[in-house]
Amino acid sequence: MKIPFFDIDNWKEIGATLARNKTRTFLTAFGIFWGVFMLACLMGGARGAEDLLRRNFAGFATNSAILFPGKTTIPYQGHAKGRRWSLDMTDLERLQVLLPQLKTVTPQSSSSNISFRNGRYTYSGQIWGVRAGFTDVMTPAIESGRFINDADERFMRKVAVVGKKVANELFPGVTDPVGREILVNGVAYRIVGIAYQNNEIQMGDRIDNVVIMPLKTFQNAFNKGDLIDGIMMVGYDTADFTALEPKIRRILYSRHKVAPDDTSAMWYMNISEEFAKVDALFMGVSFLALFIGLSTLIAGIIGIGNIMWVIVKERTQEIGIRRAIGARPSDIIVQILSEGVTLTAIAGMAGISLACVVLGVTAAMTANEISTPRFQMNLGHAVTIMVTFVVLGTLAGLIPAIKAMKIKPIEALNDK
Amino acid sequence: MKYAIAGANFFMTFATKSVIPTSNSTKVNAPRGPVTFMITLKDINKTYPGAVPLHVLKGINLHVDKGELVSIMGASGSGKSTLLNILGILDNYDSGEYRLDGKLIRNLSENDAAQYRNRMIGFVFQSFNLISYKNAVENVALPLFYQGVSRRKRNVLAMEQLDKMGLADRAHHLPGELSGGQKQRVAIARAMITNPAIILADEPTGALDSSTSRDVMALFKQLNREEGKTIVIVTHDPGVGEQCNRIIRISDGLIVPDNSPLAAAGADNRICRADV
Repeated sequence: MKIPFFDIDNWKEIGATLARNKTRTFLTAFGIFWGVFMLACLMGGARGAEDLLRRNFAGFATNSAILFPGKTTIPYQGHAKGRRWSLDMTDLERLQVLLPQLKTVTPQSSSSNISFRNGRYTYSGQIWGVRAGFTDVMTPAIESGRFINDADERFMRKVAVVGKKVANELFPGVTDPVGREILVNGVAYRIVGIAYQNNEIQMGDRIDNVVIMPLKTFQNAFNKGDLIDGIMMVGYDTADFTALEPKIRRILYSRHKVAPDDTSAMWYMNISEEFAKVDALFMGVSFLALFIGLSTLIAGIIGIGNIMWVIVKERTQEIGIRRAIGARPSDIIVQILSEGVTLTAIAGMAGISLACVVLGVTAAMTANEISTPRFQMNLGHAVTIMVTFVVLGTLAGLIPAIKAMKIKPIEALNDK
Repeated sequence: MKYAIAGANFFMTFATKSVIPTSNSTKVNAPRGPVTFMITLKDINKTYPGAVPLHVLKGINLHVDKGELVSIMGASGSGKSTLLNILGILDNYDSGEYRLDGKLIRNLSENDAAQYRNRMIGFVFQSFNLISYKNAVENVALPLFYQGVSRRKRNVLAMEQLDKMGLADRAHHLPGELSGGQKQRVAIARAMITNPAIILADEPTGALDSSTSRDVMALFKQLNREEGKTIVIVTHDPGVGEQCNRIIRISDGLIVPDNSPLAAAGADNRICRADV
């Protein structure tokens, strides 16, 4: 006996049967197509969405924390509540010395509504004072030149890293303003780098819109003395910022006479916790995608089984004729199954193709200069989806096929 | 393999018999080997089970010679359709013995039954039973598909059959585009294509008008006369029955003696034999 797969007549047979009832074939195929499409979109899309969200944190240290002092809410040691308190460089050093788990402890200060000028071009924005350690917390994208380094801080150099947008506004038509001077509140600073931000983390303003200078230079220029606005910390892998929080508070509170239980007196943001939340969210999204995908799959399979059942019912007489003229039960089962498999395979491939197009378009639309989210399906997923559908489609077609196989020629021929 | 040998026997028999396969007294009296009859039924019983079991065939004894053209006639409910189903290996019988071309047909597996039907029996039905979405030549070729004959070869053979039926020009028409007579001729071509031992026709003219019926009967007679085909026709129509060599009447599950001209003119032996 010939292998049915290689017999062109089997294929013609299948084609003729499927073409005979176009509406029914189309509806079944559409059900499978849609199921595969949804599943493929979900699997490809979940990853793309994750990339898209992760892009928001790109370049940001995961095991890190940020703190800013605020107003006290509890009277303590003769101080009324509602007192504003400030951090200074000593706090920075104490944290560094007392907590060896911290890889980097770096200050951040800023001032708003500062006017930047280059000749007749002006721009108003924030100015930040940071140390080189800033890049451990968040890696700014450098378009040209360099970021603030330790020597800048030590020698209190009058240098500035300028946000890309600021540079564009102040130096229109200049391809690379590095080496030029920028006036900040009338004082000239040499531009050493052009930077921009490649994630969506808000730290006052986007790096694109600010001018960054060494902390000491900033403190000097803006009469800040020894004070700093906030502290950013990056831990070694073993550091747990949730466990560190009370220690950090104690170190800072004791020195500034803040009530030990006054948690509102300082804003402490544990970045690793935020990342953990995102991870949990994506775990949930993945489960949801899997659940919806499997449900779609099951619905699709039931659809195939259902339609194959109807097909067998409708074709009872034809099957009877075939049996009467010599078709063996296995011939019938092969025929019915082949039809189901063919329909599943074609519709499934169409679904995967469309899903790829949709994912591709989504990727293209969400891509920016920094990254392209992976709205894509790897071949393994595509093959898995196809194989699962074809195998389960075959199983679903098996029950009707067995029913068809059991049709007795006489019963079928009498069934007019 | 078995079928091939049976077929070869069958062919050789016809090669020697050549012109005179029809009823002939000398042939009747000639000594017979064990495989002389095309169809032998011995005491066939068939009961349909149910709340009230229906005893349809109550001991049918029947012989059909090779090359005979016989009709089975009877009122509805007489058991003739059941008999035809058993002859066509579409249904089983409860007791007795059915030999087709010497082969014992009893308790066959579905696969074996399918093979026997495919190779030894050609069916012609009242309602033609062509597959509506296949054209004439594909319908005719279908039995060969189930023998594993290559597509090219079976289409050539199918065209030959259609040509014999005078339908070469209708080969690529769908059944819906053919007249009743043409459909029945396509069905006969399909029955003939495997060169079966017997043709079983179930009311082949039942759905045709009288002139088309005559054409179809002429075709059966031609196949019987020229190709020596053994043909069994189940019919209501006495006009059809009269055109056969012999009429087998069945009533209430039993074969009854017949007084048709053929029976009267020297086929008595066989009628008696066929009688219970």
